[in-house]
Amino acid sequence: MYESKTSSAAAEHGGGSAIVARGLGKAYSLYDKPVHRLYDLMFPWKKRGREFWAVRDVYLDIARGATVGIIGENGAGKSSLLKVLTGITYPTAGEVNVNGRIASLLELGAGFHPEFSGRENIRLNCSILGMSDDEIAQRFEEIVEFSELGEFIDRPVKTYSSGMHVRLGFSVATSVDPDILVIDEALAVGDEHFKGKCVNRLNEFQERGKTILFVSHDMGAIKSMCQHVILMHEGRVLEQGTAEEVADEYLKRAHARGNERLSAINRTVDAYPRWGSGEIRTGEVELFGANNRKTNVFNPGEPFLARIHFTATAECKEPVFGVGLYRSDGTYVNGSNHFWRRDPIKLGRVFDGESGYVEMAFEGLPLLQGQYYLTAFLYDHGKPAPTPIDHREHAVTFEVLDANHLQHGILFLPTRWSVHRRNHSGGLDVVTSNE
Amino acid sequence: MLQLLRSLSKNRRLLQDFVVRDLRSRYIGSSMGFFWSVIFPIINLFVYMFVFRLVLNTRWSDYQGATMVALIMLAGIVVWSAFAESMSRTTNTLVDNANLIQKVVFPSEILPVYIVVSSLINMLIALPVVLLAVAYFIYVDPETNPDQLARAAAAGDPGLRIGVTLIALPLLALLQAIFTTGLGMFFSTLNLFWRDTYHLMGVAITVWMFSTPIFYPAHMVERPGFGWILDLNPMHWLIDSYRHIIISNQWPDPAMLTRFALASAASIIVGSTFFFRQRRRFPDLL
Repeated sequence: MYESKTSSAAAEHGGGSAIVARGLGKAYSLYDKPVHRLYDLMFPWKKRGREFWAVRDVYLDIARGATVGIIGENGAGKSSLLKVLTGITYPTAGEVNVNGRIASLLELGAGFHPEFSGRENIRLNCSILGMSDDEIAQRFEEIVEFSELGEFIDRPVKTYSSGMHVRLGFSVATSVDPDILVIDEALAVGDEHFKGKCVNRLNEFQERGKTILFVSHDMGAIKSMCQHVILMHEGRVLEQGTAEEVADEYLKRAHARGNERLSAINRTVDAYPRWGSGEIRTGEVELFGANNRKTNVFNPGEPFLARIHFTATAECKEPVFGVGLYRSDGTYVNGSNHFWRRDPIKLGRVFDGESGYVEMAFEGLPLLQGQYYLTAFLYDHGKPAPTPIDHREHAVTFEVLDANHLQHGILFLPTRWSVHRRNHSGGLDVVTSNE
Repeated sequence: MLQLLRSLSKNRRLLQDFVVRDLRSRYIGSSMGFFWSVIFPIINLFVYMFVFRLVLNTRWSDYQGATMVALIMLAGIVVWSAFAESMSRTTNTLVDNANLIQKVVFPSEILPVYIVVSSLINMLIALPVVLLAVAYFIYVDPETNPDQLARAAAAGDPGLRIGVTLIALPLLALLQAIFTTGLGMFFSTLNLFWRDTYHLMGVAITVWMFSTPIFYPAHMVERPGFGWILDLNPMHWLIDSYRHIIISNQWPDPAMLTRFALASAASIIVGSTFFFRQRRRFPDLL
């Protein structure tokens, strides 16, 4: 009876909804002392805990067959939301309706026993995930094969690397053949090859009309997989819509947060090596982005300007300022100064007590996503070989966030592409892309 | 309680997997394997025999010889160990399996039950050994001292016997499982609210063990006026019933058996009610 009712409802609404949440909220009680929890159990009329709403006022309607991404900073309530949606925990307020079998990859390999072999753990894990004996027998070989563990499949799980652990967990969890698959940053581990296989498997799921719900910090993955994105902040749904719409809002917030975090890093830059004779000292290094806004977070293609303040405490003959640009792993990306140029700036003599600033700028930052730092050079070119006046490693750290992920690597290259196809008459059909 | 039965029948395959895993994990990697189930109680027996008979010079009775006392103790130890092991492990079982409760939709009532079943199976492996020992002293090496036999006959002691009452063993094991499961469900839930439960359980088991007549005869407590302890102790009723069957082929005392059955019913009703009332909150309490 119930079955037919839901299917007719689904028919009326096209594909129907896989998950509907109305006014969903989840509160946890926080206690100052653990024993207060016991008092609450024994004397329920007087509550001692403080309520903490990890999720509140969430309204969702996830269509069957949709792939939905959930983004938000740490502690935004993403995982709590997934737990309520999958039925692992019960909502404190509101309700959830789920149509279909739901499988969650909140933790891959939850319930693996370290002493047992991969094979035995597959059996048990399938059983934990609610598969019947027949289903297990049917899919067993497929799971073994997908995990690519080779002979390790017969060794105890305690001998596995964390990557192998995840591989086995993923293989089992996705073999359950759910109608709705819930993934909590499960793809963060594993090598590139296995990640590719996972993405393939998820694509397969999509093609078969399954609903996928996943949490990720990787905007690239979200954009390439999800039609619909939900942005969470402090337990609430801040925005939902197409990936483009929501990603922009997310990045705006990421910029603000990145600035906060980086200025904390930049306050500790004195910890890095600094040397030189010290007639002139460089001060703060400020960075400016589009519209001359002071920032430490940039988008690729944005204007970039670095301003280095200086104060001289003694006379100096021919100082030259320079900047070295490094990626956070130490890769030297670029170095330049104002003297070694076709059109050099010569400062001549700088006197005691003089101060000012030097600027280095370019249109269109060609860097791709990642963290970078600048090293400030100040060298005396009046001597036969340039000698350091003030050489400062890690003078300032900044970050590049890339919402589009059009290119990969360190540098954005303004590439042109063209495809030349031979046609029936022997000529060439050319399609070109300039951007 | 109905909820528990329904869930267990629905998840029996999962329960079976957990029990098998547990039994195998006990001795996985150990060369003696399941022999440990047998060796443990015997080593325990020697330790307690040494303490109670040699050091403390406890006298069981005038008419029971050393082998008889050893067998009575052994029967008690085997039953008690199964109970004690279940209690100490179930109390922490929800905490130990936190990742299952928090990350997977999982029937958590399996967790206390599988431990009880597993220790009971372990006990059922050790019991035949006790029975073999009893058989040995009946048929191969019987008591021949005429004084001893006369004293036993005078006291109305039937001596060692094996026989038809063994058919009552499954009933006792079932009641024991129910009793232990109820307590286990109660304390595993309580432990989520108050983690000290687990530590207190260790102490409580020791106190309980020594207030149960396992290493000394019941009449030694009854005589100085501590009989009320025995009247409150379900484990005494259970162990006494087991001993009747295993040692001397007597039917268990109906009064004791009835009382234990009632205690089991109370235990499972209270335990499972508490467990299922709080179960929704388990993921949040961990």
